[in-house]
Amino acid sequence: MPSSISSSDIAITRPGFIRLTASDRPGVAQPVPVRDIPAKPWARMLIAAATLLMIAVAGWEWRMRALGLEAGDLDDGPSFWAEQRRRIDAGGVAIAILGDSRILFDTDLDRFAALTGVRPVQLAIAGSNGLPFLENLAAAPGFRGLAIVGIADRSYFRAGAGLGGPALERYRFESPAVRVSFLLHRSLSRVLAFLDDKYRLNTLVRQMDEGWRVGVLLPVPERLWKLGTTTDNRQTHLWWRVENDERVRTHQRATWPRAVPPVPAAGIASTVERTRAAVEKIRARGGEVVFVRPPSAPELRGFEEQTVPRALGWATLLARAAVRGVHFNDYPAMQGLELPEYSHLSRACATVFTDAYVRALAALTPRLALIAHAPPPLAPADCNPTQGSPANHGEAH
Amino acid sequence: MVFNSLTFAVFFACVLAIHNLPLPWTTKKINLLIASYLFYAAWNPPFVILLWISTVVDWWAAKALVRAERPGVRRAWMLLSVVANLGMLGFFKYGQFLLENFTAFLHALGIAYQPPHYAIVLPVGISFYTFATMSYTLDVYLRRALPARNFLDYALFVTFFPHLVAGPIMRPTELVPQFEQPHRASAEQLCFGLALMTIGLFQKVVLADGFLAPIAERVYDADVQPGALDAWAATLAFGGQIFCDFAGYSTTAIGAAMCLGFAMPDNFRFPYAAIGFSDFWRRWHITLSSWLRDYLYIPLGGNRHGTARTYFNLFATMLLGGLWHGASWTFVVWGGLHGSYLAAERWLRERFAGYQPGPVALFALGLLTYVLVQLTWVFFRAKTFTKAAVVLRGMFGLNAAEKPILPGIELLMVAAIIGGLASAHWLMRTRTLESVLARTPTPLLTGGWMLLAFAIVIEQGAGNAFIYFQF
Repeated sequence: MPSSISSSDIAITRPGFIRLTASDRPGVAQPVPVRDIPAKPWARMLIAAATLLMIAVAGWEWRMRALGLEAGDLDDGPSFWAEQRRRIDAGGVAIAILGDSRILFDTDLDRFAALTGVRPVQLAIAGSNGLPFLENLAAAPGFRGLAIVGIADRSYFRAGAGLGGPALERYRFESPAVRVSFLLHRSLSRVLAFLDDKYRLNTLVRQMDEGWRVGVLLPVPERLWKLGTTTDNRQTHLWWRVENDERVRTHQRATWPRAVPPVPAAGIASTVERTRAAVEKIRARGGEVVFVRPPSAPELRGFEEQTVPRALGWATLLARAAVRGVHFNDYPAMQGLELPEYSHLSRACATVFTDAYVRALAALTPRLALIAHAPPPLAPADCNPTQGSPANHGEAH
Repeated sequence: MVFNSLTFAVFFACVLAIHNLPLPWTTKKINLLIASYLFYAAWNPPFVILLWISTVVDWWAAKALVRAERPGVRRAWMLLSVVANLGMLGFFKYGQFLLENFTAFLHALGIAYQPPHYAIVLPVGISFYTFATMSYTLDVYLRRALPARNFLDYALFVTFFPHLVAGPIMRPTELVPQFEQPHRASAEQLCFGLALMTIGLFQKVVLADGFLAPIAERVYDADVQPGALDAWAATLAFGGQIFCDFAGYSTTAIGAAMCLGFAMPDNFRFPYAAIGFSDFWRRWHITLSSWLRDYLYIPLGGNRHGTARTYFNLFATMLLGGLWHGASWTFVVWGGLHGSYLAAERWLRERFAGYQPGPVALFALGLLTYVLVQLTWVFFRAKTFTKAAVVLRGMFGLNAAEKPILPGIELLMVAAIIGGLASAHWLMRTRTLESVLARTPTPLLTGGWMLLAFAIVIEQGAGNAFIYFQF
């Protein structure tokens, strides 16, 4: 069944080939190519394969939902961040949040809006360093609002943008094709739970390896299982299974690095200097910058202190950059919050922490004020652990 | 846009639907042309201008070539085409590279020179479409072909989206005649085209991007000192990745064209079953190797001017072929290694002209070819010579501070995928995919088709660009 020219009558001039290619015809004009179609009932095969595919995908979707994935959990990739970042360029943004995964997971944007009447633009990125993003914001002429920079000391005082690098690149240039793919993917993610970067086929296969080869140490992002869920406006929370599934929680706890070599004094000085320069730029335009240090569990806090002591890092930063900040250690309302995997707050506690840090910031800077009908303060006692996911999940494995 | 993206899925569905409307053939061709420009502009719209320049210059150069009587005038028009295309390629692809080397040369002479910073963005696929358009004028100049009868057919040949950005590098005589007559895919062509696209996307999304790429990255992109196991596993993984990536693109492109009723040539023929390097280059990136042979090696004199000149031509062709792949000396070394292999093979064939290897010897020679090809991938993948040296030292167990890098599951992946790939190539070396599919039971084929599609869906490809886009 020839597509163009049948190969059946083509002389085989070189052993080993039953269809000639340009490699067999040196120095001549190449003829119209030959493509055979195997004699098969292709239309019926296509219908059968498509039907089987739909059944298999439906089964996979059911299985992924049983494992705790939810439709509406959006892919928090570079395009999503770039989309939010462009809101700054559009102007009129009063508050932006920058930083790493802690301020990302630990901020409840709804609570923030209920207290202040303003919904911030969430620009923090998991696994990143907030400083390059602060510098990026400092270079944005349209930003005259308040930047809240979340700090996990080990992240902020390291070099580079960490996992957030691609987001900055995507913001600087996003092709139309990538943009459209992102929008299509987001639409599909609203109805399909299995679309989750941490549940790709190769990732699931790789997770079968539980340290088979002695001495191998993979980077933290690769060792981490699914940690959070993201909805519109990049509202991100800890995934319910991390809170409720002992096995998942134990794995995530074990993943966080403990002893990390101290950041050299020169590194701290450089970070402080760059921060000061960025803050000055934003202030020169009428903006303001404040810092927030979200909680970490004692199991990590001690190691973090060894890497960047508070007196050398946090305190120096506030003093040299002449900025104000809220450190969780200093506020009773921020004590005793639940950190299921030691590094990020539970979904309920994120609301309590947001309530506490917004009130603390409002006391520090006139750029943030509580509205007249703001809800009453929350206390750690309001931090009830979630009872499973919002959906009715069966037992997850 | 890339084939492995949701954007392309929507785009292709629209193109298929429009192409099957009852419209005049000229209208259908205009639709395909517009679609192809949209396909290209979806990366970076301004670069469509380069595509237009390349298209228009070669169209007029070929017309003038036909009218010209005197050899000097013909040569001038041919050179105009070559200079315009290579000029664009040189500026966008090699401009930074040349500037860096010029600066290094001046520094070596003790001259402190700091060049201005140029942020030159490489237009996607420029190496492919400039070669395609050059083949048009060169075929006319060499009197191998006549120019296209109308501009629309020619412009569509240059721009036709399945081959536009990563090949197969089409010749005008392969595609223009297909545009002259109405083409519409039969039901069999449409379905088999979709099957080919499924195979190609499985190779790219699942094997290359999902399973193999992270293994190569772990060794080649990190500051590590691999031992023999890790260095070999990562290099074999890259050998598999680049095949699955590029052959996957070609297969998808061939399938997409077939869905529209057009035939495109094979670009790969199970290259890891090659016995010898001339055989390898008849199986790997066939449309590039044959392009270099027809428009570089043969015009340089080929094997017509004595032994020394033949070896020089061979070596020069492969060095330039290496440089075509990227503006870096590591690619030149990669090409040089292949040139050396080809030269050595040629010498051995002359020296042992009467030797007829038996089955065991053939297998051993095939294995030797495979291993030597894998060694060249070190220079292709490593970003610097320092990194290439670290990996090569690792492959020969010479890294003193080696630590285990690849997890056990990834070593198993390499063994399973690369072992399967090499075995499949060996079994298929004297067959075509179509001949094997024709003999496979229909239920098995249907189930296999579904499984490949299912694997693509649950792998949820991240829309990574194909490796050859950067070339």
